[in-house]
Amino acid sequence: MRPGEANRFSTHSKTGDGSQVPGVGENVASLSAPNESSPALLPLPPVPEARHPAPGTRHLTPDPVGYLMVLPYLLHLVVFLGYPLAFAFVLIFHRWNIYTPMKWVGLGNIRLLLSDPLVWRALGNTLYFLLIHIPLQLVIALGLAQLLNQKIRGRAFFRASYFLPFVISGVVVTILWQQLYAVETGIINVLLQLIGLPKIGWLTDRRFAMPAIAIMATWKNVGLYIVLFLVGLQSIPSHLYEAAELDGASGWQQFRLITIPMLNPTIMLVLVLSTIGGFSLFIEPYVMTGGGPANSTLSGILYLYKQAFFFSKMGYATTIGFFWATIIFIVVLFQRRFVETEAM
Amino acid sequence: MWDFKFKLFRTKLHRTRIYLTSSLQMRLPALVFLLVLSVSCNSSRSARSLETGGRITLTYWSATNAQELDFANQVAAEWNGRHTEVQIKVEPVPSGQSTEEVILAAIASNTTPDIYANVFPGAMQDLLDAQGVVQLDAYPDFFDVLHERMTPELLDQYRSSDGHYYQVPWKSNPIMVLYNTRMLREAGVTSLPTNYSEFLSAAARVIRDRDGDGQTDQWMLTIDYFPIWYKRLYDYLPLYMAASNGQTLFEGRKVVFDNQSSVAIFRFLHECFARGYAPRQTFQGDVFLDGRVAARFVGPNSMGHLERYRSADFEYDYGPIPRPDDATGQPVSYADPKSIVIFKASQHPREAWEFIKFIISKRHDLRLLELTSQLPIRAGLLEDQTFADYFKRNPKLVKFAEQLATARSIESIAELKEIFDAIAQEVEASVVFDLKPPEQAVHDAARRSQQILDTQ
Repeated sequence: MRPGEANRFSTHSKTGDGSQVPGVGENVASLSAPNESSPALLPLPPVPEARHPAPGTRHLTPDPVGYLMVLPYLLHLVVFLGYPLAFAFVLIFHRWNIYTPMKWVGLGNIRLLLSDPLVWRALGNTLYFLLIHIPLQLVIALGLAQLLNQKIRGRAFFRASYFLPFVISGVVVTILWQQLYAVETGIINVLLQLIGLPKIGWLTDRRFAMPAIAIMATWKNVGLYIVLFLVGLQSIPSHLYEAAELDGASGWQQFRLITIPMLNPTIMLVLVLSTIGGFSLFIEPYVMTGGGPANSTLSGILYLYKQAFFFSKMGYATTIGFFWATIIFIVVLFQRRFVETEAM
Repeated sequence: MWDFKFKLFRTKLHRTRIYLTSSLQMRLPALVFLLVLSVSCNSSRSARSLETGGRITLTYWSATNAQELDFANQVAAEWNGRHTEVQIKVEPVPSGQSTEEVILAAIASNTTPDIYANVFPGAMQDLLDAQGVVQLDAYPDFFDVLHERMTPELLDQYRSSDGHYYQVPWKSNPIMVLYNTRMLREAGVTSLPTNYSEFLSAAARVIRDRDGDGQTDQWMLTIDYFPIWYKRLYDYLPLYMAASNGQTLFEGRKVVFDNQSSVAIFRFLHECFARGYAPRQTFQGDVFLDGRVAARFVGPNSMGHLERYRSADFEYDYGPIPRPDDATGQPVSYADPKSIVIFKASQHPREAWEFIKFIISKRHDLRLLELTSQLPIRAGLLEDQTFADYFKRNPKLVKFAEQLATARSIESIAELKEIFDAIAQEVEASVVFDLKPPEQAVHDAARRSQQILDTQ
């Protein structure tokens, strides 16, 4: 670890300049940070010079072999990303059912979108999902990460177990939970009845369907976020806790005043990732509820899918797709701005 | 380091975004690719009807269930034994979301068979729009063959909007109500209900709380109310045809179901759910065979399953679709018909037409009944000596054969799926979850349906 980099990170942790969310590697850097001394006193390492020992000579003449080398990636980019995106954009202004020629409709699809109550319903449902899913996800993932960060027996086993659902196919998980949620035979209702509570129509009652899906999604994804939080927790310098302990801070105070602020970048990462995950909710309602009961679990992507592959309205489906992408973009932009202001 | 960190984050964002749009955008190019491929492969079009030494092979797609495949294989084997120059190859229709989508994708990618024997007449307009099927009334003997099977009025229901025929109406599963007669008898109901009041009063006697936990666990009726368009073909549509004495939902491109018949149906079904006669839940397994539900909407093809899996003391029978109390005349129902088509990509449509005539011959109609318990669309099924023995052995199917005379098909409108989706949404909202009054729900469904038709 170069001292300069460690210093830059310690700048970040001191001033809390968390405008950019950290990944995995650099948090480790703070562990090896020599001290919390003022970063301004240390010069930055001469990295650029070291990387380019002979400036202005070799790297200015383009080597055609280089283009050849990146060709597979470029080809992939054009065929699987550029072309579909451009084609989808063109589709926004057309009506197309795949098997008959496209028909120009101008802004017709956009007008339809703005007046379509189901699009707004899907948006509302998604926000409701996020409202349950994100806090639940944060609390459970952080709580479990905190537990798994202790020296407990079988720690590796538990860490692996919590990660397992994340790597299992979504459809498989969904079908399993469908069994758990079954009204008559599902184990959740059987347990509820054992303790004297009434059966709940987890997937057939409008009030419970979306929360049920949010709980399942939390269970499925919690493994990933536990790992992220574990990395975050392990990168908090232990001397902070030692100092706090000497000053007489209780465990809760340490958690609230050291752990949470130091984890702020990780929390934001988890927030952003689960927001995007929430907006792309599809498999769960598609397999479990079909968007029902009474559209209470209709998600944007499910609605898009219905338009495209049930009703063959490719133009309208791409319009929904772009609309959804725009919303995600705005929400994430907002969240990242929020990180900056939060950290200042 | 910062850079690395930032990139890692951005890659994650990026990936998630790709995942988000992949369902649509990744499929489109694939389809376009297939289209391009199909155009470039036009020269080798006859790949599906190979000609080897003057011998023609026709591909025949059958429905995937074992009984129908069995039927297709038997008929093809018989044909192949007699016609060495034209051979039939049977394939089950490739599985997919729905067979309509598979067929349309096959047309788009030019991978259709010569003959497909399970077309939903409501989807014919899609096939026509895709210019995928052969006009059949161009064959001089088309009307002779079809009029031998059905009346001109009945045949007229299968005529396409351009006035021509592109399908051979083949078989039908008229929808009726399947009852667990043992449950009805034990509840003191002695005759099968014919109208709403009779049905509801029977329901009131049938429902039970068997385990005494305060919640009903034996019901009168089960409806799969999942808002998926085609499910309403098996409850709302037959109820509508029964209540309106054989009307359908459209006149040309005008929606006409915003009427008293629809409201009465919504009210009737709403009663069933509101009073707890029908469960607001879905089940694992077959609740009807378990003896926990006394009635459901089915076609004659339900019999094979029932006969195979019922326990020895399980008793059942079929009754008419319930109607409003003041209804008179012959009860009408939805025929759930299936047709046979020849695809345009076929190199040998004439030979295919000959084979279709072979499939729909009287002999094979009998075999269809025997193997699948689905009814051939053929007038006078009960009077014909060919079938007399079969109906004697299977008296329960006589009711379906009687129903067939008045059962009808549905118009083919390209937007049918979306309209039935709109109806399904309103049925779920009003009937099942009581979110709006029946009048309002019917009105909303009709308004949205008309909008769908108008924006096309």
